[in-house]
Amino acid sequence: MNREEILRAQEKSLAHLRSVYREDAETVIADARYGFISGLLTEAMRKPAIERRTISDLIDKVLINRWLGIPIFLALLYGVFQFTFTVSVPLMDWIDEGFGWFADQATTISPEWLGSFIGDGIFGGLGSVLVFVPPIFLLFLALAFLEDCGYLARAAFVMDRLMHRIGLHGRSFIPMMLGFGCNVPAIMATRTIENPKDRLTTILINPFMSCGARLPIYILFAGAFFTAHQGLVVFSMYAMGIILAIIMGLVFRKTLLRGPSGHFVMELPPYRLPTITGLVVHMWERGKVFLVRAGTIIFAAVVLIWLLDYTGALEPIGRAIAPIFSPAGFGQWQAAVALVFGLLAKEVVIGTFGTLFTGAEELGGLGDVIGFDLGWTALIAFAFMAMTLIYVPCMAVIGTIRRETNSWKWTVFVIGYTLVLGWIVATLIYQIGSLFT
Amino acid sequence: MRMAKEITIALAGNPNSGKTTVFNNLTGARQHVGNWPGVTVEKKEGTCRYQGYAIKVVDLPGVYSFTAYSIDEVVARNFVVEEKPDAVVDIVDASNLERNLYLAVQLMEMGTRLIVALNMMDQAESRGYKIDVPQLSYLLDVPVVPMVANRNRGTQELLEEIVKMADGEVQPRKFRLDYGREVEEEIAKLEELISQDDELSQRYSPRWLAVKLLEGDEEVVKTLRATKE
Amino acid sequence: MPTKLLSELKSKEKGKIAKVGGGGSIHRRLLDMGLVSGSEIEVERVAPLGDPMQVRIKGYHLTLRKEEAANIQVEVI
Ligand SMILES: Nc1nc2c(ncn2[C@@H]2O[C@H](COP(=O)(O)OP(=O)(O)OP(=O)(O)O)[C@@H](O)[C@H]2O)c(=O)[nH]1
Ligand SMILES: [Mg+2]
Repeated sequence: MNREEILRAQEKSLAHLRSVYREDAETVIADARYGFISGLLTEAMRKPAIERRTISDLIDKVLINRWLGIPIFLALLYGVFQFTFTVSVPLMDWIDEGFGWFADQATTISPEWLGSFIGDGIFGGLGSVLVFVPPIFLLFLALAFLEDCGYLARAAFVMDRLMHRIGLHGRSFIPMMLGFGCNVPAIMATRTIENPKDRLTTILINPFMSCGARLPIYILFAGAFFTAHQGLVVFSMYAMGIILAIIMGLVFRKTLLRGPSGHFVMELPPYRLPTITGLVVHMWERGKVFLVRAGTIIFAAVVLIWLLDYTGALEPIGRAIAPIFSPAGFGQWQAAVALVFGLLAKEVVIGTFGTLFTGAEELGGLGDVIGFDLGWTALIAFAFMAMTLIYVPCMAVIGTIRRETNSWKWTVFVIGYTLVLGWIVATLIYQIGSLFT
Repeated sequence: MRMAKEITIALAGNPNSGKTTVFNNLTGARQHVGNWPGVTVEKKEGTCRYQGYAIKVVDLPGVYSFTAYSIDEVVARNFVVEEKPDAVVDIVDASNLERNLYLAVQLMEMGTRLIVALNMMDQAESRGYKIDVPQLSYLLDVPVVPMVANRNRGTQELLEEIVKMADGEVQPRKFRLDYGREVEEEIAKLEELISQDDELSQRYSPRWLAVKLLEGDEEVVKTLRATKE
Repeated sequence: MPTKLLSELKSKEKGKIAKVGGGGSIHRRLLDMGLVSGSEIEVERVAPLGDPMQVRIKGYHLTLRKEEAANIQVEVI
């Protein structure tokens, strides 16, 4: 057989070359290629005698400095959220008032069911989600800046050691950062990770990185229940996600996905000043996904919820599920319904509350209304926020996990373990917190 | 009306060299661009019409060589090696020429119809690199187009070269890198055996395959094992 | 010329690559990225937590762990 002969000849040649060069043939070949290139470049390119130190090099002297690297990284993360938060609040109030006004007008529409549909369903449900366009878009803008300026690779460099400790990889850090935008592209980005176990672990923990769709939930509840420390509470949700990701990464690497982690060899691109158009295009492309979702799946969910509520079918469903969440403090049927429909997309959690609680109320007070009607305390709100962070990623992410792992087993596993973990964490928060209040 | 002639070109190159930026310029698409290696992880197709050609442009994930390790790299490798586009445009970072040309050399060895797009000329200039483009093109014996893709410079010139190549005005020349006597002897032996295999030698350049075998390329070894009739 | 492992070099130390060892995929990865013998290499810095390190090779910046850098012998200059 010729092919076997070829492979046999290959082995003979390799052995022969190794004995001649005392080196693998691949080294000899790579040397020859690079030799050819440097010969060619001496004729086709001139470099200054001393390499110019670029601005990029100077920036790195500070940003990934031995001592400043980590504080700067943390400060940047905090800055991203602070920026998102501060700039978006006035914009949100403005949109909020607009929707509130429309919802009020809708009450005068007859017949009564149509008025309710438009007021509660459309403006209440969908409006309550669309109010969060500014923070989501601004978050995407800030993340686009990190991506385009070249810092992302630096973050991986700074964090590799820590990631290595938990049996992962600096490379895994990039998908984690991307997860703050949306977990779908983040999970796709794991394709660059060579080692299959590194990659799978990175996929399994990615849903804990709070995506843009979870931000509205945090803002809503932090705004209503933690007026004095809103920013801090929102940030604590992100931090909780990161910590859980690290813990679970460690657990997986020690149990289901044992084995050595892959190499870390990565190039650092030069910093580039992002262009305004580039940033806006990025923000728009990612933000568009949110708007499309609002117009399709969130809209459909809100209509369904309104319909079930209007016909009285929603409450029994909620009541059947609610007791499960009693230990975590949010055992009301409305919360149960919100969590169930939130499986479609996390924004629907808000959309559900929006539909159920609008009435003629002004939307701005949605969080307050929830507190009043359900009797929630800050502690319960916090436990509920943790639950929405952790429990089952949205459908789009589940689909992506299925595709990228090519396995139903792992997909079902993610759904199961996040659900259980979410319940445990929320319950712990509520129970332990209750001891002190 | 004359039917548009259809050709497929692949955009290959090192990670972060500007492939997707060029792709967007050519096709008007808005694929995601970012300043870190590994932004594009799957192949993306788009079309572009130019001078009677319907050009199918394929944007690929970045690779440092055609020895693939990760999923995205396998995608890029397989498209260039197995699906054989009509031409490959290697997007090369001019400010990092030495390492970037490593892939170009491998593409030349494969016998692909190659155009080198010398991107990021702005960055090379700001570092004080003086690149003699005609000389580079002469030495490589392939068309070289200087570009600044993020400012959409050089797109027209690149299209001209693509069309010239499709018209058959520029013929790919046989490229042969001399690996030294000992290695060449082994290459010759393997090449001889490969040439006897009709199917293999029709699909791949025998010399390229021989070199790949000496590099211990697992994908190539796998192909040999798998297609064994 | 004294040779050292790249992983032993301190920040700002320079040298010429003498030999790239290590087997399998890491070896080839290093070759692909331009770490071939004769190339000049300079350690630019070490990450805040002590690993990985950043080097300059063929005019660009590369980061790799000390574990990987230990495959590379450098003639220090
Ligand atoms: N200065 C400069 N920057 C450029 C040029 N072309 C592209 N860029 C920038 O280089 C970065 C990388 O561009 P991409 O098009 O995403 O590169 P790619 O080759 O597709 O990268 P991967 O998909 O990761 O392999 C982006 O920040 C671009 O804006 C150029 O000619 N000059
Ligand atoms: Mg790309």
